[in-house]
Amino acid sequence: MINELIYVYCISSSPPVLNQNIESQGLKSCMFNDFHVIVKYVSESEFSEENLKNNLSDLQWLDTNVREHIRVISMIMEQSTVIPFKFGTIYQSENSLKKFIEDYSDSLMENLLYVKCKEEWSVKIYCDRKVLGEQIDELSEESAALEKQIMASSPGKAFLLKRKKTNLIENEMDRLCKNFGQEYYDEFKNLSESNDLNNLLPKDFTGREDTMILNATYLVSKTKVTDFKKTIEWLRNKDKNLGFFIDATGPWPPFSFISIKEKQ
Amino acid sequence: MHNNVIDRSKDITLLELLDRVLNKGVILTGDVVISVADIDLVYLGVKLMLSSVETMEQLKSGKSIIEK
Repeated sequence: MINELIYVYCISSSPPVLNQNIESQGLKSCMFNDFHVIVKYVSESEFSEENLKNNLSDLQWLDTNVREHIRVISMIMEQSTVIPFKFGTIYQSENSLKKFIEDYSDSLMENLLYVKCKEEWSVKIYCDRKVLGEQIDELSEESAALEKQIMASSPGKAFLLKRKKTNLIENEMDRLCKNFGQEYYDEFKNLSESNDLNNLLPKDFTGREDTMILNATYLVSKTKVTDFKKTIEWLRNKDKNLGFFIDATGPWPPFSFISIKEKQ
Repeated sequence: MHNNVIDRSKDITLLELLDRVLNKGVILTGDVVISVADIDLVYLGVKLMLSSVETMEQLKSGKSIIEK
């Protein structure tokens, strides 16, 4: 089968060391202007517009190829600064890829300089509301005061107040999640160059029992990564008894901090 | 110590990876690209792994509670 389409993984700031192992996977580095573009020749039968579209609905294919996309870029990232491309970016010829690189070379260079010596880290914070709820009287004066009132009330009144407390607990937990989330966000923000807030993901998506309260991505200078990781550990221990959990992953290729401007 | 995402990607869900590789990076270039409509179809396909339509709605509406 002839592999005639060019699948682009990323741009690398320096010539990547493609060892035999990597080359046997079909990866190739093309040089245009000062950019090293990591590509792979792929077949029409898999990656033509129509076939790619069909393959996208094949979960197994999608899973394999998406992980491959991340794996290749991460591997190059270990050696140099990279600009990651969106999954499934394909050129029909080296000329057409070359034209893109030349047209956008200023913007590409700006991006390379911007993400140089920096790492992308993902921080997701979860709250187990059951655990938090059990300690609500210690964390919320309002809730503690209401509890006192319940204890001192007749059974009938206590019943009504308990119902009131159920609502109060939910509101107080929302408030606490926001406050803790904000505190975590700020701690990491202080150690990073830039950040991006993503939508909170529902439980079906995360496969976790607890509730996501923060979904952020940070661009961290390599000199601060150690502090960033220490902060993860510190916060993880500080509030784990309250039901908070920090899930941090990285370094990712800087997907979230690349911005290629349309040519004027 | 290799503590990067290559080693850990097995633990990371496809949906989370998709969120990065489909919506971010160098986008809208190439002779063949996955269009916004295609991306919706991808999520629609992956949705079969999720339990409910509400989940998709939550995904789109789950705005951050934190202030930048």
